[in-house]
Amino acid sequence: MVRTTSMNKKPVRTNGNGNIAGLSFDVIVIGGGVVGCAITRNFALSGARVLMLERGADILSGASKANSAILHTGFDAPSDSLELACIKSGYDAYLDLAPRLNLPTLKTGALIVAWNETQLAGLSQIVKKAHNNRINDVRLVDRNALLIREPGLANLALGAVEVPREFVIDPWSTPLAYLTQAVRAGAEYRFNAEVSGGTFDGNYWRLTTNANEYCGSLIINCTGTNGDHIEEICRKPDFEIRPRKGQFLVFDKSASGLINSIILPVPTAITKGVVLTKTIFGNLLLGPTAEEQVDRWEARVDHDKLRELIETGSRMLPGLRAHPVTATYAGLRPATQFADYQITATRNKNWIGVNGIRSTGLTSALGIAMYVEHLCTQNFADICKFSLAELPSWPQMPNLAQDKIRAFQKGDGTEIVCHCENVTRGEIERALSSDIPARNTEGLRRRTRAMMGRCNGFYCSARITQLLACQTSDKDPQVPEA
Amino acid sequence: MNKFDYDVVVIGSGPSGIGAATALVKAGVKNIVVFERETRIGGIPRHTNHPSFGLLVFKRPMSGPKFIKCLLRQCPGVHFETTTTVVAVKRNGQLDLATLDGLKTIRARHIIIATGARETPRHGRLISGLRPRGIITTGALQQFVNTIKLYPFLKPVIVGTELVSFSAIWTLRAAGIKPVAMIEKNSRITAYRPAALFARLLGVPIYYNTIVADIGDMFDTRKIEILNANSESRTLACDSIIFSGNFVGENSLAHEGHLKLNSKTRIPKVDQNWLSSDLQISVVGNATHPADMGDQCYIEGKSAGVAVAAILQQGQTITDTVEVQHDEGIRLTTPSIVRIPKLGRTHFDLCMHVTKPYTGIIEIRFGDDIAYRRLHRCMPARRVRLKNISLNNSDLNDQAEIHISLKSRSRKHSDKLPGH
Repeated sequence: MVRTTSMNKKPVRTNGNGNIAGLSFDVIVIGGGVVGCAITRNFALSGARVLMLERGADILSGASKANSAILHTGFDAPSDSLELACIKSGYDAYLDLAPRLNLPTLKTGALIVAWNETQLAGLSQIVKKAHNNRINDVRLVDRNALLIREPGLANLALGAVEVPREFVIDPWSTPLAYLTQAVRAGAEYRFNAEVSGGTFDGNYWRLTTNANEYCGSLIINCTGTNGDHIEEICRKPDFEIRPRKGQFLVFDKSASGLINSIILPVPTAITKGVVLTKTIFGNLLLGPTAEEQVDRWEARVDHDKLRELIETGSRMLPGLRAHPVTATYAGLRPATQFADYQITATRNKNWIGVNGIRSTGLTSALGIAMYVEHLCTQNFADICKFSLAELPSWPQMPNLAQDKIRAFQKGDGTEIVCHCENVTRGEIERALSSDIPARNTEGLRRRTRAMMGRCNGFYCSARITQLLACQTSDKDPQVPEA
Repeated sequence: MNKFDYDVVVIGSGPSGIGAATALVKAGVKNIVVFERETRIGGIPRHTNHPSFGLLVFKRPMSGPKFIKCLLRQCPGVHFETTTTVVAVKRNGQLDLATLDGLKTIRARHIIIATGARETPRHGRLISGLRPRGIITTGALQQFVNTIKLYPFLKPVIVGTELVSFSAIWTLRAAGIKPVAMIEKNSRITAYRPAALFARLLGVPIYYNTIVADIGDMFDTRKIEILNANSESRTLACDSIIFSGNFVGENSLAHEGHLKLNSKTRIPKVDQNWLSSDLQISVVGNATHPADMGDQCYIEGKSAGVAVAAILQQGQTITDTVEVQHDEGIRLTTPSIVRIPKLGRTHFDLCMHVTKPYTGIIEIRFGDDIAYRRLHRCMPARRVRLKNISLNNSDLNDQAEIHISLKSRSRKHSDKLPGH
């Protein structure tokens, strides 16, 4: 399937089989996670002919599908790191873009809570580091003020650091918006296209996938947990991906009122620790765990670990225990042996590797895209003579956030199909015919929230499978994943 | 000035909602409406094709859709509004509705919440493993097979052995699909024993003392690992998993609203007339006791409707409220509070569910008195009915509470009430 858009009249050469003939692309982005989507957007808006290859059936099939959906300030990022720089520029860019793409932001602020004397003593260090990172509004909050702001917290809370400008955002609509805007500027994408190898002839890369071969002048490797394997196509990588699994629990919407801010623990060297946060959809999220594992793709949830998480969460927030669990999930963070991101240009090979984007990718993606652009002009000036695109189109993403007006509240003339999340038939039909349409239930869930609620599809999965089958003329509809 | 859009709004058109509406119309309450969020009336029975309905109400077995059809014949004049979702229930009889044209706010003199129950799916059970396709609940299975005629798998495993689990076998059988196995964590099935025979006749093995330890494989040949009480694990090849039973009330309106809840079960507290902590709101049917048979819910809905009609026509009586406390072996009771008229007495039946099988004396103490004492055989997920309880307001003193105890026959004369 070849998709082009009417926004940009660039010729796309295709043959009858949907094969792209010849050297059509300036840039090929491998990987459709949040970082890949942001980079694709940036190149497309600069006028590059760009193709994104994703091995999954939809964007966000890997590390980006499971995160804590927080827009970080970078208060605790390693000082002078590339990560901090990308977080900060990504953060600013996001707040600028979000309203124009109709993406929701919920300014909850974060509180790093000390639960014992040692942690309490360490809080001033956190403030110092934050100020050093030029997050200047970070400050100490004493116990009384903390418990007034967060009356649900356990009495053991001794004090906190307040980070006022941390936000909760929509982790799925965000990358979808990036790619949608890219596609409207002429970018193309292929799903179910897994890159298996490639050759470089001095000017062009020829990438082989399970489906077709694709040619491009410049390759951007954004393959997350597979980053070192793909990097090997170009060079011997000087890093190793060590996937770190994070398990999460989503609690029922009735629990989200238990907290006002994002509740963070005092971080350790390895992890930011277990976070309690509202989601933009009105649930309460608890997680992640931090478990090293070998497998790059499969992330299992584990009953005992989930129980432990509930214990940890309930010790911080005693009211939590009474609330039912809506969903459990696990994701893999593409950590490396290094603390910082591993973003490097291989000059003689027309290749940029964007690796080791561990847990801050959602925030930093736009910053990373700008950094990649910078690397590109520095190293590949001859390739980067893109003709500037026309004025970008700003897709208006359907709102899924609880605090903003949803389709069922406005009334779109169609009935509610998913009752737990109040998703209308119209929303589902629109998601099935949008610029980057949902092609399976997983994609539909992320685009609409359908079946994401407390009943896990008890009421609506049959109906939604039927709607999906109608729209995609699926002859062999499947029972959705839960 | 009439500030109310309706006398009574019933939320949910399942058996208990239809029952309540029927009783209200019969009692002469005119301005009532039943809101149903689905496109069709009937609630869960709408997609249950096995003949487990009608025995109590119509003295003959019938399928769910037939049962609903028969119930509707008994209530001409009830006005149903489908594809209308009540999204919030507030104080003073106020409701927020989502209609095809968007949100609307209305007011009713009385609200009856009859939103039913649903099964606990995979996530709520914290099951380990991956998230492949084909993991559903019996309710979803019934809609796949009975409503949209889609049989997307051939080798399902059923988790649970409640009545609804055997209904899953029934549904699958109609589609020509034989389950690979049933998995039960206890040493006997939860449903009536003959149901196990039904499974055996169809050649479906039941693994007892066994849990699902892991869900494997991302791709089309799936397997699950099961673990028995002796920690012996084995692998079952299957292409779907049906999590059946373990019902919870569909109580999000109460959870996101102002009604007082039982802290453990999070079920709204209701009295012997199904009135909640807000006297303008009743909660009736499986929302308060997930989950009993459709017939029982219909009968209960009618009683709740009669009670509401009496309140609308005669006004509230002034009462004292007493909490129903109980031993740990009891999962829930309906009522969970009792309102006893000042200077009077109340007469009611109490329904309860136990957490594990129990045979022995059930005793209700009210203050110093024994208000009820009888031998019962109880099974989990099945209604136990304690009839003709009578409480007198004059026995009410400051410490008085209603306490239900399971008195195993070996310890008949225990004076001390077990703590909790």
